[in-house]
Amino acid sequence: MSTATATRSVLAQTRREQGRLGVLLVAPALALFGVFFLFPLASAVFFALTSWNGSTPTAPFVGLANVREMLGDPAVWHALGNNLQWVLVGTAAPLLIGLLLAVLIWSGVRGVLAYRLIFFLPFLMPPIAIGIVWGWIYDPVNGWANRLLEAVGLGELARGWLGETGTALWAVLLAAVWSYTGFVVVIFLAALQNVDLELVDAARIDGANAVQRLWHVILPQIVPTFITVTTVTLVGGFSVFDIVFIMTGGGPGNATAVLGTYAYENAFNFSRVGYGTALALLITVLSLPFVVALNRVQRRLALRGMGGGAP
Amino acid sequence: MSKRTALAIATLVAAASALTGCTGGVAPSASGDSNTITYLIAQPDVPENLEKMRQEIAGFEQSSGITVQLDVLPREQLHTVLQTQLRSGSGPDVFSYDTGPGFAGVLADAGLLHDLTDAYAQNDWQIYDWARERVTFDGKVLGVPDQVETLGIFYNKELFAQHGITEPANLAELDAAAAKLKAAGVIPIAFGDQEGWQGGHLLSMGLASRIGSQGMTDLVEGRVPWSSPEVVATISTFFDEFNRKGYLPESATAIGYDNANALFYSGQAAMNATGSWLVSDIINAADFEVGFIPFPGPDSRGIYAGGLGAGTFVSATTPAPDAAVRFLDWLQSPEHAVFDVTELQSIPAFPVDTSGVDAGPLFTQVLEQTSKMSSGSGDFGLNIDVLTTNQFNEAMEGGLQSVLTGDRSPQEVADALQAAFEQSTGS
Repeated sequence: MSTATATRSVLAQTRREQGRLGVLLVAPALALFGVFFLFPLASAVFFALTSWNGSTPTAPFVGLANVREMLGDPAVWHALGNNLQWVLVGTAAPLLIGLLLAVLIWSGVRGVLAYRLIFFLPFLMPPIAIGIVWGWIYDPVNGWANRLLEAVGLGELARGWLGETGTALWAVLLAAVWSYTGFVVVIFLAALQNVDLELVDAARIDGANAVQRLWHVILPQIVPTFITVTTVTLVGGFSVFDIVFIMTGGGPGNATAVLGTYAYENAFNFSRVGYGTALALLITVLSLPFVVALNRVQRRLALRGMGGGAP
Repeated sequence: MSKRTALAIATLVAAASALTGCTGGVAPSASGDSNTITYLIAQPDVPENLEKMRQEIAGFEQSSGITVQLDVLPREQLHTVLQTQLRSGSGPDVFSYDTGPGFAGVLADAGLLHDLTDAYAQNDWQIYDWARERVTFDGKVLGVPDQVETLGIFYNKELFAQHGITEPANLAELDAAAAKLKAAGVIPIAFGDQEGWQGGHLLSMGLASRIGSQGMTDLVEGRVPWSSPEVVATISTFFDEFNRKGYLPESATAIGYDNANALFYSGQAAMNATGSWLVSDIINAADFEVGFIPFPGPDSRGIYAGGLGAGTFVSATTPAPDAAVRFLDWLQSPEHAVFDVTELQSIPAFPVDTSGVDAGPLFTQVLEQTSKMSSGSGDFGLNIDVLTTNQFNEAMEGGLQSVLTGDRSPQEVADALQAAFEQSTGS
């Protein structure tokens, strides 16, 4: 056997062993992915094609009947409208408020750690607790919201915030924005640590004002983080359930119903697990294009070398 | 067959088995011990009652050797949390839940309840026939009814006297009384409908006095449509007219049940339209004399609506069915029934000797009414939501909230009720 042949043989064996090692290393992650993502997804798709009521041993296959019903169900369109409002405002508000607060803290305020803690604390609270506490705040009899309005001379604005069709969704949304903004602040603060201060100083010397420095110098360096936070918030807007369920249960009437609460109502209150699952899948399907698009933007920016690094 | 092919087939078979396995019911219940049961109830309105119940149950534990783990959930969470728990197999062994097709019926349809038909026969349980019907689904008795109740208006006797108001003998008098109270700065009727079910109770009261017990039976059994003028008029009177006149608290759909009761206890509101289960709470919280009257009819004093409230049920997957049945048997013992009446002001759905019970005037009145109702000697309307399906109840509760918020008219809601009734009964 020549030296070259022996070398090739050793290389081939090494590659095989590396391949085996690779499979072994990836196997746990693949197994977890299969068990906790692929299998539930396959189950969801399966049940969405059935009229299962949650108790019978078999699930009658109905094909796309649930999808057809969804398209003609006015309650779905109403809930979807509420979801879209939630996605728009529930994404934009925490991003804008969070970015401004993060930049303010980053630009030299004393006690950064304390601010981080204060802003992040609401995000650590379970949505159930947030819902209950904000329910007390909005209470028309003893709630602080109305008392505060009365104290500052705006008593005529006092109302049952969660009980009126025109205000209920926005009142719940405000509670959600309050709880989520802290998360955005902390993530942006982490990203701002990687911003090149020399560029900011140079812009200042060149006469750029605070808004110009933020828009033209700071923001481009944290774009990947911005996109990541946008993606997470946006998906949360489609899948929102807990805080609405706790604060209003979708009421009054069905004024605050979102796809999540409507899916729950069908699956658990009406024992229509098949239809409820189809509605839950609709949430996933609606979120996907946004996630893919934002992911592509992020990748393109990364290729162009933009961003001070994602957190 | 290559190893790869065999592996692929095995994987597919495993996946298919797992998928079909998903449709096969729920896992065993929480306690896992045949001599220990978990017992879930709604948080009592009076906190001290929970301790009384613990002590009472301790007596059963001592005499039976069965351990009972008593858990509580806020009343408003019981419907949502319990159902999810039972479906996931982590629910309690024995639990309190509302009766009728819209509540326990949903659990029965989902196969989540243990069949107690044999237990009834073996233990000779003396539950009233009409009450047992409310927990019977597809010919199987699936629960033990344990709360007979009436619906009407509690009123603050001192406030009534202070403003020169007597018990209203008809709807016009109720209107006049409410107008007088409002003019004096008192909220006429403490009504909060944030949860939604309170609206159904109020509709029951209004209909009971407007169309009588037979009229309500005709509605519930589908002989008269829910879109009929009487239903529209009843919805219109309370949810539209009374609301617009300011007889209810502002933004009633934003006020929860407990807060509405608090308005009554604090003397801010003069009347409270709800059920007799609140007597215990009223006795503890109100420092004024309270009367209880039916919601008036257009031309009469009216009749009370009434029926069955909660019942006790056993999870289909309990590992301790025998212990659960012994516990249910003890719950129906004469001694425990007297405890229910005297300590909790709760009225069981079987004959109880209350001759020696010192109940106070308000509860004595309720006891007399429920006794008449249980024996079939009085005229009582029906409490709608424990007799109708979940779909109907959702339409009723959401619809009545929509009238309060001004988004829908009484006629639209009545039409929606009829549509929901037809849809849920397949008629």
